[in-house]
Amino acid sequence: MNSPWMIETKQLTKMLGGKPVVDRVDMLIQKGEIYGFLGPNGAGKTTTIRMLLGLARPSSGHIRLLGKDIRRERLDILRKVGSLVEYPSYYGHLSGYENLEAVRRLLDIPKSRIDEVLAIVRLTKDAKRPVKGYSLGMKQRLGIATALLGSPELLILDEPTNGLDPAGILEIRELIKSLPRSQGVTILISSHLLSEVDQMATRVGIISSGRMIFQDSIARLRKQAKSGIRMRVSEPEQAMRLLHGHGFQAAVESELLAFDDLPDAQIGAMVARLSEHGHLIYRIEESAASLERIFLDMTGTEGSL
Amino acid sequence: MLRVLSAEWLKIRRKGIWFLVMLGPLGAVGLQGLNYAIRYDYLMPLYADDPWGRLITNVTMLMLPSMFIGLAILASMNAGIEHQMNAWKQTLALPVKRRDVFLAKFFITSLLLLVSSTLIIAFTLMLGWLLGLEMNPPVVQLLQASYYPYLAIMPFVALQTNLSVLIHNQAVPLTVGILGTVISMFALWLPDWMPWIWPYLENSYGEPLYSVLAGVGTGAVILLIGMLVFNRKDVR
Ligand SMILES: Nc1ncnc2c1ncn2[C@@H]1O[C@H](COP(=O)(O)OP(=O)(O)OP(=O)(O)O)[C@@H](O)[C@H]1O
Ligand SMILES: [Mg+2]
Repeated sequence: MNSPWMIETKQLTKMLGGKPVVDRVDMLIQKGEIYGFLGPNGAGKTTTIRMLLGLARPSSGHIRLLGKDIRRERLDILRKVGSLVEYPSYYGHLSGYENLEAVRRLLDIPKSRIDEVLAIVRLTKDAKRPVKGYSLGMKQRLGIATALLGSPELLILDEPTNGLDPAGILEIRELIKSLPRSQGVTILISSHLLSEVDQMATRVGIISSGRMIFQDSIARLRKQAKSGIRMRVSEPEQAMRLLHGHGFQAAVESELLAFDDLPDAQIGAMVARLSEHGHLIYRIEESAASLERIFLDMTGTEGSL
Repeated sequence: MLRVLSAEWLKIRRKGIWFLVMLGPLGAVGLQGLNYAIRYDYLMPLYADDPWGRLITNVTMLMLPSMFIGLAILASMNAGIEHQMNAWKQTLALPVKRRDVFLAKFFITSLLLLVSSTLIIAFTLMLGWLLGLEMNPPVVQLLQASYYPYLAIMPFVALQTNLSVLIHNQAVPLTVGILGTVISMFALWLPDWMPWIWPYLENSYGEPLYSVLAGVGTGAVILLIGMLVFNRKDVR
């Protein structure tokens, strides 16, 4: 019961169509964390989340949520978990308020909570309209309101910004960041975009083809982001050949000279060489490889964005 | 269970379900009304020995097919509410027993059908009095004619609930429902053990209650099977 883990899976596996879609995943999420669950399309994020919520049965492995076994104490656990899985679920013919009321009746909590969550997601004004007339962003916000209804200790959000425009994405992100962290809510949020959870997550897990390939703090992930040096010069190609002649490693990337990170002394030496041979140096800048880059390298998928 | 039922009750709002619940009884009794109105002078002497009894039987003959198709549509609408916008995953990730969610779908369909059966009684009474039959109708016969078939048709309520809940594509349960309705029209030629004949309360023992018991028992078994499958099923 006093396990520090809000989510703990051991060798979690799901076979679908004869192949492992989720493959021996050990996921650990601590209380109070915002955990970014990342992976390209089809990596197995949704499948994992479905198993966490008891919607799908693991083929093998174990799941403990809030320190309890999901198979034995499903109802106790779900009382303290709010979720939003894949595209929003809603009853189109009912108003936003009635949608929440339908869920409220199942949760058996006071009606006043509906107005509270409507206010949190700023849907109070539209609460009386049928949901089928809502924009995608509004439906997604209603989904988050539904997830929050039971004042959960653990919030599981599967791609909450899926299909939204940049403004909508920003809005949802702000919303999630504004959630009462003080009450110690733990949040699992999945996404195929690192940038999306980058600014909120404290820890990340990266899943690719069903395997968890990285699970650590976001700071650790950043450390892997090797920085480099870029230099804008008058004749990049000639400059590169010159530097090669002097034993420096250099490449030309989109009209810029590019180097791995180098100590100051070496940069100074390079600049001196270039100046000697009449190259004009317009600017020198440090460039950090984006987290997005690392993510792509790790998951080995190009352009899944 | 009550929590789940009250949520279900809310969800069937504004779906035209109540209209459908009215439509069946209104159709069955209305058509008989038309029949009597057109052939009044011919029918009344013909049925002189038992005017109420004949009216009740006539209404029942039209009621049964509309029950078969009506319950299929009701079951499909109730399940469709969840299928349509992927609400199963939301509902089943809430602290509710899967069993209760499944049974609630069955109970709501049963309840709506019960309302229809009750309306049949009310409408038949009105039609009878409108036709100038005597003021005190055979109450027991009237109740039996409506509620016995209701109980005997339970295997189909269970079957349609199972199909509608377990299968995403509602064309499947609706097709099965339509086929069943067609078969039911020829039910009187079927042997006793075929469930389609049970709502007609006809059996070789001449005891309507046997049909009712067979219906309730078989209905419970079919429902149980559906529930067990639903309990194990991965939710999309
Ligand atoms: N019923 C099934 N039979 C076989 N394979 C399946 C089945 N359902 C899902 N899959 C496969 O499982 C894999 C993981 O799917 P999942 O939805 O978990 O991915 P995801 O990480 O959520 O992706 P996305 O970012 O697109 O939402 C996919 O490759 C999919 O093709
Ligand atoms: Mg997914």
